[in-house]
Order: sequence, then structure tokens, then C-alpha cells
Amino acid sequence: MRIVVDLELCQGHAVCQEEAPEVFRVVDRPGAYSRVELIQAGPPEALREKVAAAVHYCPNRVISILDDA
Amino acid sequence: MSGASQAIEDPVRRVVSGAKPGTGHFEEFLANPALFMLRAWKECGEVAEFDLGGMKNVLLVGPDAQEAVFRAPDEQLSPSEPYKYMVPVFGEGIQFGAPFEVERQQVKMQSNALTPRLMKGYAEIIAQEVEKRIAGWGETGEKDFYEEFKELVLRTSTHCLMGSAFREKLTGEFGALFHDLEMAVSPASILDPYGQEEVFTRRDAARARLAEIIIGVIRERRAAGGEYPDMLQSFLAATYMDGTPLCDDEIVGMVIWIMFAGHHTSSNTSTWTLVELARHAEYAADIARETDAIFAGGEGLSFAALREIPRLDRFVFEVLRLHPPLVTLMRLVKRDFEFRGLKIPAGETIVISPYVAHRIPELYPNPERFEPGRPAQEHVFAYIPFGGGRRKCVGNAFALLQVKAIFCALLQRYEFELVDPPESYREAMPSLILRTSEPCRLRYRRRRS
Repeated sequence: MRIVVDLELCQGHAVCQEEAPEVFRVVDRPGAYSRVELIQAGPPEALREKVAAAVHYCPNRVISILDDA
Repeated sequence: MSGASQAIEDPVRRVVSGAKPGTGHFEEFLANPALFMLRAWKECGEVAEFDLGGMKNVLLVGPDAQEAVFRAPDEQLSPSEPYKYMVPVFGEGIQFGAPFEVERQQVKMQSNALTPRLMKGYAEIIAQEVEKRIAGWGETGEKDFYEEFKELVLRTSTHCLMGSAFREKLTGEFGALFHDLEMAVSPASILDPYGQEEVFTRRDAARARLAEIIIGVIRERRAAGGEYPDMLQSFLAATYMDGTPLCDDEIVGMVIWIMFAGHHTSSNTSTWTLVELARHAEYAADIARETDAIFAGGEGLSFAALREIPRLDRFVFEVLRLHPPLVTLMRLVKRDFEFRGLKIPAGETIVISPYVAHRIPELYPNPERFEPGRPAQEHVFAYIPFGGGRRKCVGNAFALLQVKAIFCALLQRYEFELVDPPESYREAMPSLILRTSEPCRLRYRRRRS
């Protein structure tokens, strides 16, 4: 599983971080919007459920999961 | 993000008819911004130019155009200038009364007061308030639910925001002061929010008195110490990135801002939800059964239960499609903006309208019909009741929580019907927030089944 985040639309709510702290971390940036950083862009399958919750509950719908072909 | 690209023709800019010398379309806009936006789009299509007292505005309609606007940086499409009339309401140094880099941090503080963890506590508070409010309703009765929900949401919001001690002492004054602030936010204030009219002097007096009340609470809090599960506590603990805390006057501004953003938007959405439930009894019965099942499972009004209530969710989504509280979102063009070959030069204002965007028949067939079964839109920017992009409403989840908690509690106990003929419940826009016409009377009766 690969994770892609649309950073242009990320508001830094950190809902993803609550759902899957192993994968997402929201960082504050001086003078700019806070936004998410991927701790791992290709997390193990065991985290799929947590990542799916992050995708689902992201207020701005900026996270997608790309499945490996 | 965008839908399949077809051979789309470049958009053509057309000028809305009926401009008057000097004032342009201002008079018609003033009378009802929602209906004016709709007319502009129906007449001109996806790019409609109109004039508000010498200011050139361009309404852009369509998911791709909306996306392009929401993706543009603040430095190119500024949300600040078009909303300068909020500065005397929220205060200097707050939101658009502050530079972007400060305002962004303040928005972040607002969103930190609305995290999922805190939201669980708010769900309990809202449930308590709703139950307290309806405890004396009895078997049956009749109310004006525009007024009723305005009161109820004032209580739930004040409790979540300022805490239980303040809520217990809440008097009519607090609501009346907010009313004075709201009255000054009208289409007229877009032209000049610093005029000598009485609404503006009342606004300034109300802001000063609110500051006095809120600063009193802040001082009590600071003196008493301790932890409180409310938004005020988040603001007291908040710091800018350099470590500076908010000063008392900034906290006042934050409180007024969040209250302002969440009061009428949520109360009007609740009123519309109730009116549509009464108009569509088949859905109301279904939703009541759905919420019964949640309560039967012993969930109470917890945040978990409030996360997903599919039928109620779809119903509220349709309410927000047809009756979005904010009908226009404005951005001043600071650097020329381009969308599919169309150039909008610096100095003009771009307008996005959730009201119009939600009435595109290709996306929402028979758009004026209330239809909760509509499929969700693929395009993220087709459905925009909370705006979009990095400036999307940070109170989105709180608003839905508020509305859903209210209806879970109400539908468990009561059934509702309209008192007046269905067509007499119309959209009205005496201020910049879309609401129901007055009176908005409904009859309630305790559920038997």
C-alpha cells in the first residue's frame, strides 16, 4: 500500500495522526499552514485499517491509498 | 481530483443584466444574495460578472473552477480584503485584522479547540443541554423553531465554549449582544463597515461589553487555575509558534469569532433539517428508527455514535446542499488568476457560491427537489457547504456533531409537523446567512411507537 497526500489542501487538523500515529504526523511550519508529514509512505498491511480510518475521517479528504499493482 | 476530461470549451465571461448607474447590481444583491447569484448563473453560465457599487465581481461556477479557486494561495486570491467587515466584529489583531501568518496560527488554535478528543466531551455537553431544554416540552405543543434553535444552539455553543460555570450564569444579555454583532454583518457592511449608522454603533458597543464579560471570565480562570474541558481553556493554553500566548483581548476575539462562525450557521441548519423532516415524514420515521437502534445499543449520545448515523447523515447533507448557510465565498484577486484560458485580473473579486454550485442539474438532477438519496459526488469540490481547501471551515465536524446530537435527542422523543402550508416555509436572507422565513412554526407530539 502506498499513501499519497494532497498537501495543497491539507489543513493540518491532525485527525489522521489520531487515527494512525505510526504513519502521519502534523507539523507546524513558521509563517505557513501546518500540514501532514508521512512517517512512512508505504506502511505495512497491518496498518491498513488505521490508514483507511484516516482517509475516511480526514476533514479535507486529502489522503488516498494507492494499492501496489 | 477532477472528473474525466472531455472536450470542454473555454469558459466565456458574461455580464449580468440589470446594472444600475453608480451602484451596479448592489440593490438586487442586497435584497437576496442567494437569488441574485442564482439568476447571475442562469443568465450568464459559469463565469458571471457583476458590479457591487463599483467593485467588479466574478461568480465562478463548477467543481473545477471551485477547485482552482480553493487551491490558489492566499497571496494570490486573498480572503482577507473581502471580509474586512468582520474586523470590527472580531477585533483588531484577530483573523483578517491580523497578517496572514498570524491568522493561520489563530485558525490552527481554533482547530485545536475542536480536536476529536475534545469533541467527545462536547457531544456529552450538547446532549445534556438538549435534554434540559426539552424536558419541559410535555406531550404536545407548538413552537417557532427558528427562535427555539437559536436559543438552543446559543446554550450548547456557550457551554462548550465557555464552560459550565459561565453557562449556568448565562443571561439574555449574552445572546442579545451577539444579536447586535450579527445585525451589523449584512450586505451593506460589505461596502462600508465603519459607517455612522446605528447598527454599527450598536455593534461597537456590543463588542466592548462582550469583551468586558469575557475578560472577567478569563481573569477568574487564571486566578482559579485548573483544567476545564472547554474551548476557552484551549485558547488560554494556546501559544503562537514563537511561544507567545494569546493576550486577553485576542482571546476575546477568538471567542467571538468561533461563536459567530458556529451559532447561526448551525441553528439555521437545524431549523431547515426540522422543516425538511416534517415535509418528508417517510425519511423522518426511518431516521427515528435508526437513532432508536443506536440508543438501544446503549451508546448514548457519545461521539462514537455521532460519527456515523448513515440516514441522518445523508439527510443533513441534503439539507446543506439545498440550504447552505453561507451562499457566497469571496476572494480578492491580488495576482492575475487563470482558469482554463480565462484570465481574471488583479483587483477584481472572485465569488464562489455554494448555493449555486449545489444546483448544477448535471450533478444534482432536479436540483430544487429535496432528495436525501442522492449519490455522493465524486468530485471533492462539487459539494462545498463548508468551503474547501486550506480555508475550509474548521468547525465542520463540530457543526455536524451539534446538529446530529440535537436530532438524535429530538427524534427519540417527538414527531413534528408543519403548522402552516408547506410552501410558506421559504428561504430568506435578511443578513448574509440563509435562513427560513418567519414565522417557522412546527407542532410536536410525543412519539407513540
